[in-house]
Amino acid sequence: MTPVIQKGEETLKVRKLFRKTRFGFFALFGIVVLAISILSISSVSRELRDEYVSNSESIAKNIADSSVDILLNRNLATLQSLIDQFVQIESIRYIYITSDTGEYLAHTFIPGIPEEILASDPSATEPVEHSLPGLGDFVEVGSPILSGVAGTVHVGMDLERLGLKIQRAVGQQIYLLCIILVTGVLASIWLVNLASRPLTELLEYVVALARERESDRSTHGDVLVRDDEIGDMARLMRYVADDLAFAKDEGRGAGGDD
Amino acid sequence: MKTRIGGGGEGEVRQKRPGTLTRRSLVRSGLGALMAAPWAGKLGAIGARPYPGPHDRAAATLQDDEIVLGVSAAFSGPSRGLGTELYRGAMAYFTHVNENGGVNGRRIVMKLLDDGYQPDPCVANTIELIQDETVFLLFNYVGTPTVTRALPVLKKFRDQQVYLFFPFTGAEPQREPPYGEFAFNLRASYRQETAGLVDNFLNIGRRRVAVFYQNDAYGRSGWAGVREALARHSETIAGEATYMRGTQFGASMRRQVEILQARSPDAVICIGAYQACAAFARDAEDLGLHIPVANVSFVGSENLLALMREGRADADAHTRFLVNSQVVPSYEDTSLPAVREYHELMARYDPPPPEDVERITPGEPYTTFPQSFVSLEGFVNAKLITEIIRRMGDNPQRSGIQEAVFAVRNYDLGVGEQVRFGPNRRQGLQRVYYTVPEGERFVPLDDWEGRFPVS
Repeated sequence: MTPVIQKGEETLKVRKLFRKTRFGFFALFGIVVLAISILSISSVSRELRDEYVSNSESIAKNIADSSVDILLNRNLATLQSLIDQFVQIESIRYIYITSDTGEYLAHTFIPGIPEEILASDPSATEPVEHSLPGLGDFVEVGSPILSGVAGTVHVGMDLERLGLKIQRAVGQQIYLLCIILVTGVLASIWLVNLASRPLTELLEYVVALARERESDRSTHGDVLVRDDEIGDMARLMRYVADDLAFAKDEGRGAGGDD
Repeated sequence: MKTRIGGGGEGEVRQKRPGTLTRRSLVRSGLGALMAAPWAGKLGAIGARPYPGPHDRAAATLQDDEIVLGVSAAFSGPSRGLGTELYRGAMAYFTHVNENGGVNGRRIVMKLLDDGYQPDPCVANTIELIQDETVFLLFNYVGTPTVTRALPVLKKFRDQQVYLFFPFTGAEPQREPPYGEFAFNLRASYRQETAGLVDNFLNIGRRRVAVFYQNDAYGRSGWAGVREALARHSETIAGEATYMRGTQFGASMRRQVEILQARSPDAVICIGAYQACAAFARDAEDLGLHIPVANVSFVGSENLLALMREGRADADAHTRFLVNSQVVPSYEDTSLPAVREYHELMARYDPPPPEDVERITPGEPYTTFPQSFVSLEGFVNAKLITEIIRRMGDNPQRSGIQEAVFAVRNYDLGVGEQVRFGPNRRQGLQRVYYTVPEGERFVPLDDWEGRFPVS
């Protein structure tokens, strides 16, 4: 007698079903990680940059406040000494001080003041980005000295260093999210496998019923003792199968009588 | 560590690597003194006493048999020639004084700390020297970036009345408020040196003056002097280029020369140390910038010339555009009593560099000069401080230092110029001298137009 259903075929169908489920989990986790990463990159870079600019402004203001007496005393050596100390702070790449007439009174550039700086507005205080050949990219902030009548302090912060900081911060977050993603996917595979096992057993039992072989039925009969929906379905299947077999036997008997 | 010079003079040398003021180093130097110095017992006794209050310290009586001068200077690194030669000049005179009974019966001793011409170690050294109650005053510091940072320390410890004498820098911060009251200067200022150079260049028709400078407080001080001097002639700085402090002679200054060449200057004034300035003058000559290259006194003329001439067959032609301002007369001018004495004592004692300098910069032994402008300045500084201490009598106190200095009026130091101090005059000498290389020496320049004709 040819089996009604090939066992391997049905098992394959169940695996396909759960493979799709697993893929769904993976895709869902991926989308979540991607969305969080994008949000994280955006917010971290924005916040770090804001903090960077804010720090630069504080430093520029600090220098501006400290420079008043020094400038009024025309003590440019002390002024240079002052900015030399500030330029040692990490991320500050240059500082220069311009007079109210735009003259460069002190600076930290070597071998000279770049043309891009010379071409910029010496009294500007709003954050502005500079790309200086051979030096890199910078965000520059200014702070007026005595409301600008004594000059302006300009502080240049290294954008490359800022970029590295952002990369490091975002990298750490993405690293954590990736760990969560991998753990989540592995856990979902395990859970799906856990869920698929009784269904597989049920399927195998149903196949045995269809084959109408008592030995197969007893081999896969464990599913009948389950007290969950799978057990209910197995028992229901057996009842239907038995009922069908009984009807079949009765029909065969009636035909013999004829 | 300790250095003995000659038969009767001695100088204690306690050197530190830059930036290492630690409790351990203090203990070590204290132990070193206990182990090595003949007067170790006294030092040990002082060290064992409870730390005296500020007023006690200001009034503290010194050692009975010596006066200790605290020195923080460059004895290592690219500018070690300056600290070393300044020390040698002073040491020659102090050795002579000590051999002849000292000052009012006290020997003059220098406590040396190395700062490598770096500001932070200088600050640490200054604190150490001020807190060492055997130190009577601070003497012969080297450099603007170092002294500029040490001045606030003097202000902080103002109640201890420790003054800085004759720093080897012409910058303004130790000549003006708010720190001028803590220092006494002997040499002319950079403002005076650069004004003289600018005036002379403009007098011979070289109106476009550019500046090459060390990008720190020293360079800025000289830059400001050039700017002010040019402004008096309604001119501005024609161009400027900078270098980083500590740059060696082997470094290329091509970029700096190109920056200045683009501005077509008639002369360049360099505000730097000898290694970098020699590199700049070398590259300027090699790249065809054939204009006068002036240096101020801090450069260390002999060190600069030696570097530029080393291994060159065309040494004279290579150095023909150099002109250096000086704040002491030429050491060739033996018509001056102080110069004659300098020659005699340098020849007699030939003070070696402070001990262990070669160990600090391995592979680069320092070769001393028989005479140099820097050692002459050290000699003259020592001569005047000895006179000031002599005037303080048998029991000199820190509290009496200022009064003793202000009492120096029209004193003949033997350099052809009277020395005078006062409450509003904290710089003893005013004259600036101009020199050009002739062979291996710098000689006075009398004819600017003949030396640097405008084509």
